[in-house]
Parts: sequence; C-alpha cells; structure tokens
Amino acid sequence: MADGKVAPVDALSPASKAWGEIGPRSAAPHWGMVVDQERCIGCWSCAVICKSENDIPLGMWWNRILTEGDSLDQPEVVRGGALEMQWLPLACQHCENAPCVKVCPVQATYHRSDGLVMQDTDRCIGCRYCMIACPYGVRNMNWGAPDRPTPHETGMVGARPLGTVEKCTMCVQRLAEDQVPACVWSCPAGARVFGDLNDPEGRLATLIREREGYELLEEAGTKPSVRYLPPRRRSPL
Amino acid sequence: MGTDRRTFLKGAAGAAAAVGVGSLLPLIDPPGVKAARDYDVPASLPVDRVVRTTCSPNCTGSCGQLAFVRDGLIVKVQQAADYPDAVYNPRGCMKGLCYLNQIYGEDRITTPLVRTGERGSGEFREATWDEVLDQIATGFKAIGERWGWDSIHVFGQVPGSGYIQKGANYRASALLGLSHGTSFDFNGDLPMGMPITFGVQNAEHEAKDWANSRFLLLLGANPVETRIPDVHFLFDAIERGARMVVVDPSFSPTAAKADAHLRIRPGSDAALGLALCRQVIEDGAWDQAFMAAYTDAMLLVEPDSGLRLRASDVFPGGAETNFVAWDTTSDRPAEIGIERLGVPAGVAAALEGTFEVGLLSGATVAAVPGFELVRRELQRWTPERAAEVTGLDPDAIVRLARAYSGVKPAAILMGGGSNHWYHGDLTGRAFALLAALTGNIGRSGGGFSVYVGQYKVRVDTSSWWSPGGAKAHVVPSIYFVRGRTETMHPDVPYPEQGWHGLFCTFANMFVQAMDVNRLHETLAGLDLIVVVDHQMTETVKWADVVLPATTWYEKTDLTATPLHPFLQLQQPAIDPVGESRSEVWIWHELMKRIDPAAAAEFFEVDEDAAIEAILESGGAAGGPTEGITLDALKQGPVRLNVPDPDVAFKAQIEDLVPFPPRSLPAPLEATAAFVPTGRIEFYKEEQRFRELGEAVPTWKPPFDDETHDPGAWPLTLLTPHSKWRIHSSYANNAWLSEIHGGRPEVFIAPADAEARGIETGDQIRVWNTRGEVVAWAHVSESEQPGSVTLYEGWWPRQFARGKGVNELTSSAVNPIHEVHYVANMWAPSTGWKDCRCQVEKAGTADG
Amino acid sequence: MSSAAPPITSDAPSLAGRVDRRALYAWIALLLAVMGIGAAAFLYQFANGLAVTGMRNIVMWGQYILFFMFFVGLSAGGLIVASAGRLFGVGAFKPITRLAVLEATIAVILAATFILPDLGRPERIINILLYFNPTSPMIWDIAIVFVYMAMSAFYVWLYCRADLARRGSWLALGTGTSERTMAREERVKSVMAWVALPAAIMLHSITAWIFGLQISRGFWYSSIMAPMFIASALVSGLGLVIVLALILRRLGRLAFPDSLVAMLGGLLGAFIAVEAFLLLAEYLTALYPGAPEGEAAARMLSGPYLPLFVFEVVVGLLIPFLILSQRRLRTSPVWVATAAAIGIFGIFVHRLNLVLNGLSYPNIDLPPGLPVGTPQVGSSFSVYTWYVPTLVEWLIVAGILAFGALLFTAAVAFLPLQEPDAH
Repeated sequence: MADGKVAPVDALSPASKAWGEIGPRSAAPHWGMVVDQERCIGCWSCAVICKSENDIPLGMWWNRILTEGDSLDQPEVVRGGALEMQWLPLACQHCENAPCVKVCPVQATYHRSDGLVMQDTDRCIGCRYCMIACPYGVRNMNWGAPDRPTPHETGMVGARPLGTVEKCTMCVQRLAEDQVPACVWSCPAGARVFGDLNDPEGRLATLIREREGYELLEEAGTKPSVRYLPPRRRSPL
Repeated sequence: MGTDRRTFLKGAAGAAAAVGVGSLLPLIDPPGVKAARDYDVPASLPVDRVVRTTCSPNCTGSCGQLAFVRDGLIVKVQQAADYPDAVYNPRGCMKGLCYLNQIYGEDRITTPLVRTGERGSGEFREATWDEVLDQIATGFKAIGERWGWDSIHVFGQVPGSGYIQKGANYRASALLGLSHGTSFDFNGDLPMGMPITFGVQNAEHEAKDWANSRFLLLLGANPVETRIPDVHFLFDAIERGARMVVVDPSFSPTAAKADAHLRIRPGSDAALGLALCRQVIEDGAWDQAFMAAYTDAMLLVEPDSGLRLRASDVFPGGAETNFVAWDTTSDRPAEIGIERLGVPAGVAAALEGTFEVGLLSGATVAAVPGFELVRRELQRWTPERAAEVTGLDPDAIVRLARAYSGVKPAAILMGGGSNHWYHGDLTGRAFALLAALTGNIGRSGGGFSVYVGQYKVRVDTSSWWSPGGAKAHVVPSIYFVRGRTETMHPDVPYPEQGWHGLFCTFANMFVQAMDVNRLHETLAGLDLIVVVDHQMTETVKWADVVLPATTWYEKTDLTATPLHPFLQLQQPAIDPVGESRSEVWIWHELMKRIDPAAAAEFFEVDEDAAIEAILESGGAAGGPTEGITLDALKQGPVRLNVPDPDVAFKAQIEDLVPFPPRSLPAPLEATAAFVPTGRIEFYKEEQRFRELGEAVPTWKPPFDDETHDPGAWPLTLLTPHSKWRIHSSYANNAWLSEIHGGRPEVFIAPADAEARGIETGDQIRVWNTRGEVVAWAHVSESEQPGSVTLYEGWWPRQFARGKGVNELTSSAVNPIHEVHYVANMWAPSTGWKDCRCQVEKAGTADG
Repeated sequence: MSSAAPPITSDAPSLAGRVDRRALYAWIALLLAVMGIGAAAFLYQFANGLAVTGMRNIVMWGQYILFFMFFVGLSAGGLIVASAGRLFGVGAFKPITRLAVLEATIAVILAATFILPDLGRPERIINILLYFNPTSPMIWDIAIVFVYMAMSAFYVWLYCRADLARRGSWLALGTGTSERTMAREERVKSVMAWVALPAAIMLHSITAWIFGLQISRGFWYSSIMAPMFIASALVSGLGLVIVLALILRRLGRLAFPDSLVAMLGGLLGAFIAVEAFLLLAEYLTALYPGAPEGEAAARMLSGPYLPLFVFEVVVGLLIPFLILSQRRLRTSPVWVATAAAIGIFGIFVHRLNLVLNGLSYPNIDLPPGLPVGTPQVGSSFSVYTWYVPTLVEWLIVAGILAFGALLFTAAVAFLPLQEPDAH
C-alpha cells in the first residue's frame, strides 16, 4: 500500500490465515451462524474480540453472552429442584424477515443478497425505530461521543457517527477477505460455526439437522440466520 | 340534515376506501425495500504490521496472539491460531484479547517513581532511571553490607511464563547472592501429593489428552472458568461419548456442563477419595498387577519401626538401596531392585497379609506389604463414613466408584479447589491411589493430573539461570511473609539476619500473599522495597521505588506451559510504552552499578542470545529442543520433542523406567530422594509422616479448625480463581468490568443469608481472627450452606473498605511440607481455602 | 342559565381592551425566553448527543416521543370533536368549533416539532424525503402528519376567512364577502368536515400503528392500540378544548353558554367511559391466561409501575368520570374544567405507562441484560431501566410548549375565533 501499510489479512502467517478461511459454499450463499450452547462456556471472548475488531466504545456491546440462570454466571433452580445454567450468546440475528428493515424510515438498514442485514450509518437519522422493532434487543445507539479505555482509536473499522444506530455487521470487512467473523475466529471452545445456510451438505446444515438447531424467538417469525444448538442431555451416575 | 347525512356517508365510504387501500400498503413490496442491495463496504483498515507473540500471565494458557499495529500503536489483539496441529486452535481467552487496555490504560506506569509520602500512601514523584537505579544499587549495597545480601528477597511469579525475563531475576540473584523467592508453592499450586507419591514437582497430562478419556473426574477443578483455551478438549471427549463428573462444594460453571455434580463439603475431598479406593477394591475392580509392578504396594514394611525392610537387612550381599517383597510362590522374601520397575520374573508378590521375615541380624519381624497398611486405612472409609464427612449421598459415592472404574481410560483432573488446602497433599495421595488402583497412570486418556500454575520449566534453562554455574539461593516466600518455622528444613537458605529488603517484580504480592496483615509486619522491618510492574497496583503503592515494566508486547521472551507441548516466543510488537523497560535491561543496569565486572561478563547478552543458548543445551539428540531454532520460533509455535500426546510417566509405565522422571531445573537426585523406592509410594516411611499419622493416605479435618472453632466460625471462606482475572491481573480492565460490574461479591447460600438478614446487594463484612474485608453479598443457589465464595484477585480499592480478601487467609505451614526441601518442588504449599470465617451485614455507621 | 357576558362580535378589535397590554407583553416575553432556553438546550444536545437525555438502549424512546404522541392525540381529539359536531349537526358546538380546529392545528405542529430533538442526526432529516420506506409506519405517520397539518391549517383559515374578509384583514387572502361566497362557505365547511374526521382518525391510528404493529413489544402488539389511541385522543383533545374555551371566555375572546360546557362535560364523561372500557378489555385479555405474553401487563400492577397505573385509572379516569357523571356538577364550569384538566393529565400518564412499560423490560431479559449504551460505574448491562427524563429534556420540551403557547397567543390575538350562531 501507498504509505507502507498492509491489509491485515495479508500480514497473517499462512497458518493463521488458514484458521479463518470461510470454507466451501454454494453458488449463492446465505451466510449464517450456528452457536453451540453445549460448548459455550460464557467466557465472552467473542464479545470482547467483537468490541476490539469494531472499535466499539465503552457502554456499548454488539455481542453479549446471556446466562440462562439466576444472574450472571449463577445457576437457577428449575422445576424438579435441580440446578441448571446455560449460556446464550446474542447478537444481530440477520433475520430474513427483519422487523428493523421494515420500519427504518430512510432505508438505512437493508438486506444484502447474501442474507446479511446491513446498517448504513452515514444515512441513519438516529430515530431508533429499528431498536424498537428488534425483538432481540441487539441494536445500539451512539448516545454520546465514544469513550475508550485506550487513548487512541482501535479496531479494524472506522468509528461510527454520533447519533446513529449500529449493530453486528457479521464483520463484512472480514468476509470480503474470505475470513470468518472475529467472534468465530476467537471462540476458544469451538462454539461458533460460520457458513452457508444454502449449502445442504455444508457444516451448518449438518449441525442444525443432527443437533436439532433452533431459532431464538421463532414465534416472532423473523427467520433469523443464526441458529442455536441446544445443550446435550446429561447422563447422571 | 338529510344532505349532511348523505354527504357524511359518502365521506365515510371514501375514508373507508382510503383506509382499506392504506392497510394493503405493507403487503406491497416496492422495489428498493425488500430487494437486496449490495453496496460496497469499506475494507479492513490497514496496519503497519502484525506481530506474533505469546500471552503469558500465570494461567498456563501460553496462547499465541497477534498484535495488530497501526501508526505504532496496538489496535487489536487476537489469537494467532497457528498451532501446527489445528486441534489446539485457537486458544486464547477474553482476558488476553483485551490486553491492549492494560498496555494503554490509565493504570499503566510509564516512568520510574520515588515515594514521597508514607509507605502505602501511594504518593510518588516521577524520577529518572538513573536516579532510581542509583538509589536501588545504593540501597542494596547498604543492606548487603549490614545484613547480608541474602536478606534481600526477590519475589517474582512463576518463571515458566517467561524463561528469559523472569529468568533474569534468577540470574542476577545468583550473581549477587540475593534470596530468590518462590511462587509455585507460594501460590498454593504445588500439589504436594505429587512429590510425595511420585517424586516429581508435578506431572500433568497435556490438555489435548482429555479428549481421549472415556470418563473425566474433575476434583475441585473448574476448567470452564480457569482453563478456557483448553476446555474444548473436554467437550471433544464428551462428544465421543465420555462422561464428566464434577466434585465441587459449589455449583460451578463446570458443574453446569457435567453429567453429575457431587456437592462435597469443603475440605473433605480426601475422605471421598479413600472411600472410592475402598469401593474399587471391594468391587474387585482394581488392577493388582499394576499395583505390584509400579507402586510400593508389595514392599515389606516393619510396622514397629515403620521402616521398609532393606535388602541389606534380609539378604546377604543385598543392596542397602534395594527393598524386599514376599513371594507367595516360594513363600520366601524376594529382593526388589530399583533399576527397573515391575515384578521379578517368577515372583508372585503378596500385597496383603503379614509375613514372618528373618533378618540377617537373627531377629524375625512380622512384616507387612506397604499395601496392607494402606488397606487397613481404606477399610475405615465405608461409603457411610465418607458420607458423614463429605455430606454426600453414600449411594452416589458407590456409583461414582463404579462409573470411574468401569470404563477405561479414565482421567482425574484435580484443581486448586482441592489442592489449596493445608492437607491438600492427602487429597492428592488418595486420588493418586485411585488412579493407580485402576491402572490409569501413564496411559493416554487416563492419569492423575493436577492443574494449577505455569510453573513448569520444560527446557534446560541453566545456561541463563545459573551464570558461570552459580545458583541463586531460593527461599520459599511464605517464610518471607511469616518468618521461619521451627520445623523449617535445614536446607532452606533462610537469611541469618532475617529480611531487610524486597525486590518485587511482576507480582501483586501485597494483595495476593496469604495472611496479608502478617506480611505487613515483615514489610515494616524492610529498609528498601522495590516494585517492578506495569500497572499501578496496591503493591506498587507500598513501594519505596517503582520501576515501570514492559508488557509481553514490548519485549522478547521464551515461554512454555504444562498444558501443551509448544515452545513459543514473545516478540515486541511496539516500542516500550513511556520509559518502561524489560527485566533484562533493569538487572543489567543494576548490575553495572553494583558489580560492573559481573555485569560485563554475564549481562551483556540480549534475549535472543539467551534463547539460543537455552535451545542449544536441550538440543542434543532426543533432547526436548532438538532441532528447534530461534528462526523457527519467530515464525510461530514449535513443538518440543515430547510424546504425542504428552502424558505423564509414559516411560515409567511402558518402559519400566523407575520413578521419578526429572523435574527441571532440579537435578534428578534431588527429587528422586522423595521416592527412594523408585516406585509410586503410598506408604511414606519418613518419621514425620508416621508421627503425624500420615504414613498412608488418610483424611484430616481442615487445619484452620484448630485456630477457628467451627462453632464460633461456622463458614468456610473459599477463594477460587475467577475467569475474569488471572489472579489479580485484569481486575482493572475496563471492558471486563463492564461485564461483571467491577465489585467484589460474596456468594452465599440462601439459608446462610436468611439467617443473617442478608440480601443480594447488601454490604457485608467477612472476618476471622486474621483480618476482615467488606464486600457485597450475592445470594445464590450455587453455594452450599456452610461456605461462602469470594473469588480471589480483587484489588483492595475495589472493596468497600480498601482491604483485600487475603487478610483472612492463613500462613500456616504444614510440617509434612518441610520433610524435604527442593525449591518449588517439596516446600510449604499454601492452603488458601483452609480459612474459617463469619459473615454479617456491614453497618454503615463505622464506614 | 346562559352566561351573562355579552356576545363578542367578530368586529371586535384584535387586541381587546379586556387584556392588559403589559401583561400580554410580559407573557410573550416569558414565552420567548423559555423558547430561547429550549433552543439553547437543543443546541447543547445536538453537540453532545442524546446521552444528555435519560434515554438509553433499553428505554430508547422517552419524553420527546411521549409528547409527540400526546400532542397528536390532542390534535386528533380536537379535530374529531369539531368535525363530528358539524357532521352530526350539533349546533351547540358552533361557538367552540374554530377554537377546536385551531387547537388541532397548533397541536399537530407541536407534535411534529417534538420529533426533531428526538433524532440522533436531525440535520439528516432530508433523508426521509430522499429515501422514504413505504413499509415503515413512521413514514406513513410523517406523511399524514403533514397532510393533516396542511388540512387543519386550511380548516382554521376556512372558518375564519369570512370574518377576516369582513374585517378587511390581509389574512383573508382575497376571500370575497359576497352572499354567494358566504353560501358556498357552508358547503365547503361540510366537505371539510367529512374529510377531516377520517383524517383525524387515520392520523392517530397510524400513530398508534407505529407502536401496535411491533411484534417485538408485547405490551403494544395488540389490535386495540388504534381504538385506544383514538379514545385517549378524544378524552385529552376534548378536555383541552374545554379548558382553552373557558380560558378564552374569561379573556373575552369567546362567548358561549354554560349549557355548552355541561354538554361537552357529558361528552367527555362518555369518552372517559370508552377509554376505561378499552383499558379493561386490554388488561383482561392480557392477564387472564397467566402466560408470558401477559407479563408486561402484569408488571403494571406491581412494583414501581403500580402507582402510575393507579394514577392513570383512579385519578385519570375514575375521578373525572365521577365528576362528569353528576348532572349537577356538570353545570359548574369550574368542576368541568377541573375534571377535564385531570383527564388530560391522566391521558398523559396513560401514554407514559404505555411507552415506558412497553420498553423497560426487554423481550429477552436474561442476565446480565442489555448494554446500557454509555459508560457506567459498575456493570454496563441492565435487565431493565427506570427512565427518568433529564433537565435538558424538560427544557427542550418546555421550549416547544412555549412555542405552541406563542402560536396560540398570536392566533387568539389576530384571529376571529367566535363562530356566530347564525349568519
């Protein structure tokens, strides 16, 4: 590049780069993600790398890990008296029938042909109707000027304007480099899989089929591109 | 009127039509709304470079990271995920990924500091390096001349996380005659059951091997929180059909993933282990051949003296170093050599019974195989008796024994939860016995592994740590905190004149030490306290002189871990921030001012040269670093020449090589002395073991019950490791604090809370005779009544009254841990969780 | 008995002598000052972002939207009363018709104004025109607000133009004063009436649909939203018209008998009954199954929302109804005005409950909740939020209200508001 800088993907070693490759896909991919609740340990590595990759300011999180329990990392008593605890990572579901796309007055949020729901923060007027419409609560408003723990801007994408709404972008800047989203790369437990939902033999379709993948808030009819694999049945002593 | 009504109706009809059409609007799909748009999106912002380094706090992760640098600043840290065997990828965890907040955050120390106010006031002024280095050199010389150089204690954390930089502490200590402290034992991580039983510092299976197990017994271990980069191997095992059982007083996040959770009473783990052993024998599910071949089970003991029979006692010309067993085939004693494990050909060794053995002296003794003595102890541990002590259901104990012994291979993973007790060694010994009884030692998917700190020295570091052959005096740092004990081993080079100086580097000692109030008594007597750190911690506040340190992103180092077999470099991604400097540079500068000749001879090397020297010393054929070059390491992780998977005691089990394998950096003889039989030892003949009734594994109540009557102090204070920190590192990280709230919580069972009128969010006081701390209550079902959990590592400034939890923990030393002395290998291991307390709602009146 | 005050003809000078000039100037100065402070607060908000408000990621619509929908309701209510009066030939309403239409116009202008400070990037408002999304209820609402605004302004002018023409005012915009023109007036007014009535109903239904079509908000996702908004509009709109009418009568700008007040009071009571019925229907339906869908409604009945719910029902509906259902009390304008004022306030609280309870508890309320949106002391996450508007929000709202008062004062000063009983 002109000023001696390089595209980050070009600066990776072959081994690192191979880890992030998206892999096989159909001719017209519909990108999706599978999140395995059995493997998710609630470590928030995916949420932290998302914050890092996308220069997300303090107070804002595109991705968060919910505890199915009494409070953060604490179990709940279920019917029957046993203790249980699971984790549920939650970010934009990139819905096929996205309520946010329907209501944005200026079409700043829109569909891409590969299934992603995009957000144009240069057009957004900050009315927050999309935040109202989203049943998952995964959209964030830039309420104030960004505050960071570091004195400098970080991450691999530019900062977004004050007064606009933003959300998980499925790391489109990485998809363009044939690299998986940052959260998928960084999950230490292997709980996230990224791929093509349109590929019937692909990893996603197989996992969804074999592990009975489900949709969050299915009854809302949003048709999310993110599917969850339920935790396994335990076999007590 | 009629006209109006007609016109109204017309109007209403018109309006209705408008509404009708309008309501169809959402069904219309105008072009540009539902249709997809594929606008260009901006590419990833470019970078100057991406540097591959290794994240290295004391967590055993040793995870490769990439530092993305733009305009000379790190803008992202992400796992390198470049391990040659992709099954290890990606490693890393959320803490490493937000390390850039530590590099650039508000708490970063960027200049040398000199104290201006009272010690502990945190009042400093900035100073130049020359000034502080001169001050330290002068101070050291003064102490050295007046009290002796060994009265300066150098406290640095586990060197496994940085062989070169932390190694510089050893190198300088060796040259100057300073007392280097210890960390593995200080941290309570030294699992004394291991040296006692196997003659090693520790010997874990690498985490990859968990995936080969069919049964995983997790004992006081919480990998979901504390082994994040490795935890997927557990899920791999489960996916292949393995079952996982968690034994833990609390319902931990790992318990949430298990097939069964045994909610054991704190401090009673050994009782469970012994009952499991008894049950396995009772069920006939034990491997007698294994016990005979690899353990001291068959070696005869003379009960009155408590000593084993030596071959020289029984056989003419028998070696003093050999032992005796009873051969049931010939009904005569047999000599057992120590050059090779196994049972001599043609011998059927008895493991039980009493045998009359004639000694060369003419006397006859009623000798018993060591295992007979073990069995007598085990007989006491019926499921019912164990249930009384552990609070578990006796039936569950039986089922666990059968589940563990019924499938092979089965692994035991023991963690700090079980080891961080005064009698943690007894727990280790009981469960090592369980593994041995079922033949689960030395085989992939099996093992008795204790996972704690990143202590392991995997390569020969003597070229760097022992300059010119000189070795540092190493004194267990618990003796720095509390002074020597009466039973301290004579080999411990405790300074004659006591402690007069402290050089604390990369360690938050004044927060993380046990019995902090006692530590402060020691500190009060010091002439000079020097702290080297990159964060403004509580420890830094108590320093006289503060040296700003570089992070792993600003220096070169060599690192490894017991959890995986890869050797890795740390490489600088950016220039040192501010005026921070590496430990190698700091010691070089200090040496120049104290002993210029030594500085010239031994400290004018750079890190690369030190690394190459280390690689070479292990580079002989068959050595761990054979074929490993510095250039290769600069590209990424390189596998050490160790078995694949790297399991413990392979050579012993497969090739009958006697125990122990070498524990670097100690010479083999040093730890071989722990197990003179060359076998796995369950019977210990050293006098103190017998005096204390611990010759064979047994269970004893928590030691703190001797200073805190359980009646008056009804709660046990558990201080496990939190996933949000590595000890006290990351406690101040802004991103992580956003998640967990940044406020220490005391998890308390509903019954205990109710009895004290405590609700979630209340400020509560936790105290015992040693100290107190005030934090916020969190009533949770995860706790069992009778214990409370306060995760360790919070900084005092985060508590309500500015004190830390270690005011309550104990600095008691177990005399068993003083039977031998090899630094960090047989030494007093801290029993953090042996800590009784009481809890009450904190009044606001007294602040 | 009818009021003893002499009827005011439309020939009266614009600044009637009954109003103290100095008081008027002081009033206008006060309004301008409040508007100035509001503008300054708005600029402060524009510079620093919406973080200066009490809104955050969980309750992301607050004071501004509340006042927006409240004023849409006031507007629609006023216009419905005026148009229905005409359409159903209720001659007694005539004296207050122009006031009602004026109230509707100013209220909808204010409603639109309230949206401006709610935008994160108000300078990008032109994007609404350039890239409008036909499937967005917000676009429908913006469209109808402007159509309605133009229509009701025209409606006001339509009613006043004859008198303005007679007065020789330029505001008549060339309207003639001939007999033929006057005759046509009535026909045009009738046409307007049956355009205005459905328009007002559509305006407020569409505003209701901004909320009621969102499957993401269980408390809102109900077909009763549009009818309930209309009912709320009728209560608040009619209530405001009553109060303003009585104020203007005191100032000598309007004349009408107390019997009209009693009639309007009775009508208001009926509207309150309808609102109460719809509220009952909604809550009963939500709560009866005891299912998760009813959780939002259940939260109104306990915890921090209970006092607001009690206020909405007891103070906002029950008390005014008890007053207005008494024939004797209806004859007293003071009682009617009091009931009307309480009813208006009650509707405001009703809308507040709707918005805040609808937002405070997210769908997926698992711990630790949603990120708040700005740096916090402690955790950045919250399972729910108790929204409290900040001073900046109050100042901006006050500024806009002052603007509305200023518009109203000007209209009262310059427009002939008395609709004569006969030509």
